Amino acid sequence: MNVFDNIIVSTRLRLARNISGLPFPHKLGELPARKIIDNVQSALLPVDKFNRYDMNDISKLDGTILQEKHLISPDLLEDCPFGAVLISADENVSVMVNEEDHIREQVILSGLSLDQAYDRVNRIDDILGKNLHFAFDGRFGYLTSCATNLGTGMRASVMMFLPALTIQNMIDSSINEVGRLNMTVRGVYGEGSKAEGYLYQVSNQRSLGLNEVDIIDSVKGAINHLVEAELRARRLLQHNEPELKDQICRAWGVALNAYKLSTEEAMQYLALLRLGCFYNYIEISDINKFQKLITDCQPANMQKSGGCNLSADERDVLRARHIGASLASFCKKLL
Amino acid sequence: MKCTNCGLRDATTEVVVRRNNHVEKMFLCSECANNFRPDIGSESFDMLNKLINGSPMGLLNSFGNLFNSPTSRTLVCPDCKTTGDEFLKTGFVGCPKCYKVFEPLVVQTVKKLQQSDRHVGKTPPEYLDRTDEITLKTELQAAVDSGDYGKIVELSERLKKLLNNKSEGNQ
Repeated sequence: MNVFDNIIVSTRLRLARNISGLPFPHKLGELPARKIIDNVQSALLPVDKFNRYDMNDISKLDGTILQEKHLISPDLLEDCPFGAVLISADENVSVMVNEEDHIREQVILSGLSLDQAYDRVNRIDDILGKNLHFAFDGRFGYLTSCATNLGTGMRASVMMFLPALTIQNMIDSSINEVGRLNMTVRGVYGEGSKAEGYLYQVSNQRSLGLNEVDIIDSVKGAINHLVEAELRARRLLQHNEPELKDQICRAWGVALNAYKLSTEEAMQYLALLRLGCFYNYIEISDINKFQKLITDCQPANMQKSGGCNLSADERDVLRARHIGASLASFCKKLL
Repeated sequence: MKCTNCGLRDATTEVVVRRNNHVEKMFLCSECANNFRPDIGSESFDMLNKLINGSPMGLLNSFGNLFNSPTSRTLVCPDCKTTGDEFLKTGFVGCPKCYKVFEPLVVQTVKKLQQSDRHVGKTPPEYLDRTDEITLKTELQAAVDSGDYGKIVELSERLKKLLNNKSEGNQ
């Protein structure tokens, strides 16, 4: 795993769009809302095969699984009874309907893939735009229900793994620095949440007055800044190498041998192993499997894989077993 | 309904002004609404000043501060009934038309939050066509008025081509 791959987990690019002449979702009745879902589903037919999940039909568990995979927002699940999501077979594309805006087109790719993600979402947007008349204004651009998304309607987000900045209490100053570049930094599960597993989401604040390429370039600039800061912090961490090695070896020992593990513990130990990989204390032969393991360990995904209604303790036992077996198959301790 | 201020253009914005418990309604076109200023000392003007000159806090804080301020001006969208106060409180509007109705408020808000009030990104092709069509028709009319036959022929050809392309695209 190269240095960049160790720090940058994934890229998400979304475009907010609304249908011309219709009230925005929070003012929209059930019938027109359902009509929009049907129209978006039809418009997506030339793009790919999409699976549709209506929020009033989906079970709480299945909805939470989609949320843990970042395919839908918590708001769509909790607050949008007439909402739906259309998800591509490879789960790289999700189109939320009737969330904050009528349409939220989203592409998620692994690593730093802003250009590729924009190319893909832009192609989908062109196809949808041919069939659905988007609300657009010459001055304000694409019209969105909240003024913060006006213009391009674009949010380019990069999920970053920043353990050294966090451990050394340098994360707040780094966040302030990228804030001055008009970027927002949040915990990985969105606004107001803690940065579990040292995972942060960096995204553009401005969507108006810049074109899409400028926005992507500004996010890349902020990412480079944070990568450099994290690398400096990792070099500082190494000044106390025995302590660092001990922490990572303990994480390896517990992750492989624990009888039960809570989600928080799992996130913490897996994060330390990812950090250990950077220092060549741990070898991870398949980063995609490692990343999937983090998603698998989330409560709803764990509950689903258990196949029945597990208690919290039973889920923790299953999680520990799954993590131990998985790590043994694609990770190795090098110390 | 025509604008109650200039009487020339269609009214798009309803403005309610409260003066000493007396409520006065005005129906303004977007240009007059843009230029509309409440009376000196009015609290709504203070509110906008807070928005423009306030500390660089997060969006919701800005909207929250505005909401806490008393307002003497209320704009109402005729389509979805969203009010200017609701927009200032939450940052949300109810429908695309709100952006015309609340244009003065939106401009002030986005200039502060987004450092710009002009879109420069992707534009839907049908919008570009529409803008081109309007521009060409305006230029053609001007050429007809001035009797510039060379220009009339050129613009007519361009307009014909644009409309043909559009109708082919719709098939």
